[in-house]
Amino acid sequence: MIKVITINNVTKHYPGNKRAVNNLNLSIPDGEIFGFLGPNGAGKSTTIKMITGILPIDEGSIIINGNDIVKEPLATKKKFGYVPDRPDVFLRLRGIEYLNFIGDIYDVPKEIREEKIERLTKEFGIYHDLNDHIHTYSHGMRQKIVVSGVLLHDPDVWILDEPLSGLDPKSSYTLKQMMREHAARGKTVFFSTHVLEVVEQLCDEVAIINNGKLEFHGNMDEMRDQFKSGETLEHIFLELTSNE
Amino acid sequence: MNKTWNLIKVTLKMQYSSVGKSNSEKYGVYILLIFLIPFAFIIFSVANTIIQEMYQVLSPSGNESLILGVTFLSLSFILFLVSIGSILSSFYFSEDIESFIPYPFQPYQLMVAKAATPFIHLYITTAIFFLPILLFYGAISHAFFLYYLYGLLLFLLIPVIPFILSALIVMFFMRFANISKNKDRTKVFAGLLSLLFIIGINVAIRLNQDPGQLAEMLTGALQQQNGLLETLTKFIPTAFVGTMALADHDTVKGLLYLLGMIVLSGLGILLFLTMGQTLYFKGVLGLNEGNKSTKNKSISRTKVVSHHVWITYVLKELKIIFRTPTFLLQCVIQSLFAPVFLVVILLLENSASLGELLANFEGKYVILILFLVTLFILGVNPTSTSAISKDGTDWYLNLYYPISMKQIITSKIIAAWMINLLSILLILLASLFLINIPTTILIMWLLLALEVNWFTSLVGTYLDFLKPKLKWTDEQEVFKSRMISLKVLMFEVGIFGTIVLLLWNIPIIQGLWVTTILLFLLLAIAIFTIHYLLNKKIAEKHYQQI
Repeated sequence: MIKVITINNVTKHYPGNKRAVNNLNLSIPDGEIFGFLGPNGAGKSTTIKMITGILPIDEGSIIINGNDIVKEPLATKKKFGYVPDRPDVFLRLRGIEYLNFIGDIYDVPKEIREEKIERLTKEFGIYHDLNDHIHTYSHGMRQKIVVSGVLLHDPDVWILDEPLSGLDPKSSYTLKQMMREHAARGKTVFFSTHVLEVVEQLCDEVAIINNGKLEFHGNMDEMRDQFKSGETLEHIFLELTSNE
Repeated sequence: MNKTWNLIKVTLKMQYSSVGKSNSEKYGVYILLIFLIPFAFIIFSVANTIIQEMYQVLSPSGNESLILGVTFLSLSFILFLVSIGSILSSFYFSEDIESFIPYPFQPYQLMVAKAATPFIHLYITTAIFFLPILLFYGAISHAFFLYYLYGLLLFLLIPVIPFILSALIVMFFMRFANISKNKDRTKVFAGLLSLLFIIGINVAIRLNQDPGQLAEMLTGALQQQNGLLETLTKFIPTAFVGTMALADHDTVKGLLYLLGMIVLSGLGILLFLTMGQTLYFKGVLGLNEGNKSTKNKSISRTKVVSHHVWITYVLKELKIIFRTPTFLLQCVIQSLFAPVFLVVILLLENSASLGELLANFEGKYVILILFLVTLFILGVNPTSTSAISKDGTDWYLNLYYPISMKQIITSKIIAAWMINLLSILLILLASLFLINIPTTILIMWLLLALEVNWFTSLVGTYLDFLKPKLKWTDEQEVFKSRMISLKVLMFEVGIFGTIVLLLWNIPIIQGLWVTTILLFLLLAIAIFTIHYLLNKKIAEKHYQQI
């Protein structure tokens, strides 16, 4: 299976030489939904920020679909779409202006844009709010406009940081459906979470990180095999991350 | 009382904590302060001379206390104006106010805590204006210990009344004007109002300047002791009471005036707390509700538009500036202040004669003066010095979008350049219709101004890029208590002020053309150098570290 994201020996120091991420190695295959788990402060967001080019990498390298994020940042950034944990983006723009902005910077042709904006925002129920400024949106609506922006340019890799927090059950269901559809089209979804039910429902593969170190990587069955079968994911998670 | 004290500590910590500030940032401030010391000495010595001169003129008629009176009066006025802005921002517009409301605090407790930050600003302002004058006056009048003790007490009391006065006005305004429900509109409205107020005062003073009448009034007042003081301070009682307390510090009368000042301030605080208790929450609640358009509007297909990335990014920058009230006020409206002021003065003065005067001057000197004025007017515009900081946490979006950092920064420079075009246009119109500057000079100036504009926009953006302020909760913080505007101005005027001085005095450089071309080339070199430095920083991936 082709590996779409490869994280090679990545280390990130924080001031005081504390390691936020410690020699992390991870390969994520395409066409899968990959869950990145860990307790608060484990290094999930730091890793995602290095993958997306927000934070510099101290040691190691990250390759996305053949491109190195450090050496070829622009080519790499065109290949993924990112939904940050805090969806408060460009609050003074209108919803439609934000989507046009994204369409322009990812070179989405106008015809595709028209069709997709209408379809995506109607599915999310924000179509009629597109002429409002984003600062009048609720947290969930902001999340939806950012997700619509990502799906507008249909990236090879879809990266989401804690995507389901703040969404109502219906929107949460829609988002999960969209993640499944994305993976079904041979593309990759990589997301961080600490909501274990979501992992059980969605993920093909899982990695658990704690104190910046990888504690487990495998599919759900392997995870259950490694531990006493029948144990709930919650137990496994607590066991793996108990040395905090 | 204990709760209030805790609340004050929390609000101050949130405002002034050095957590998250790098050491170099702290040292930068210290170094700048050291550089300011010589400036302070110059200003102090000038102030000292003025006070000595005034004292010698006024003391024969027993009117020397006028020096203190004028100080108190102008200080009260400045403090009143400073308060309006900081009260609006601290009491109503700061984002953290919502997080305090659910706690079981009385409105007055919140108000006292929220007043802490504005008061620190007011005390700094008072210290700068009042303390030197207090010392100089004391030295000249050979005052004793009691004078300085009274002075210190008055220093603590002076900001109270102006602050309360503007707080009451703001609270009334926010409670009853009913515009408080729209935070954005209120901000723009308040900003415009203070701008018009300042211009209005200026116009009024200029229109009422009848020298004969003024002299008559002054002579009348001069004939009696402290007559002048009473004439000037009759509208602000604390200015009069404060002055009398200091001037008569060696008698019981002085003590009584001081007590009067304390009682007045105490009553003021009481009034402030009582009014605040009833008015404050009514104005502040619901302030953060946005305004939504009515639903069920379908987006028309024409709304889906596509632009080149360059255009789309510059448009995004401009939209954010024009739609965020604080940015609109600081970057657009206030930057038009200097040109508008210029136009008002030109309209009121006999401006045609200015054109004739300029025509008699040699082209070289005219263009040098115009160049410096333009550099100053464009250099003080904060659009570029806040180019990165305005983004706040949105800055991080730029890091994962597939746009090169060079393009992002250049778009920001273009946006700042475009906003400055408004000032240039205004000056151009004024020069065309009011001054009648010779056409050749005007064209030369215009070409230079467009280049100066790029230079100032570039320098501001570059310096902001080096050390932006991205962690803010209220947009005001992007512009307040930052040294960057001063740094930019010192840098720009420092370099080109020296160059202008040299060009002015070098006799072989003569004529309009030669001077303009020289300035043009020197600016080009400066622009090239800063672009080189900027590109170097971008190549070092500095943007990931800010």
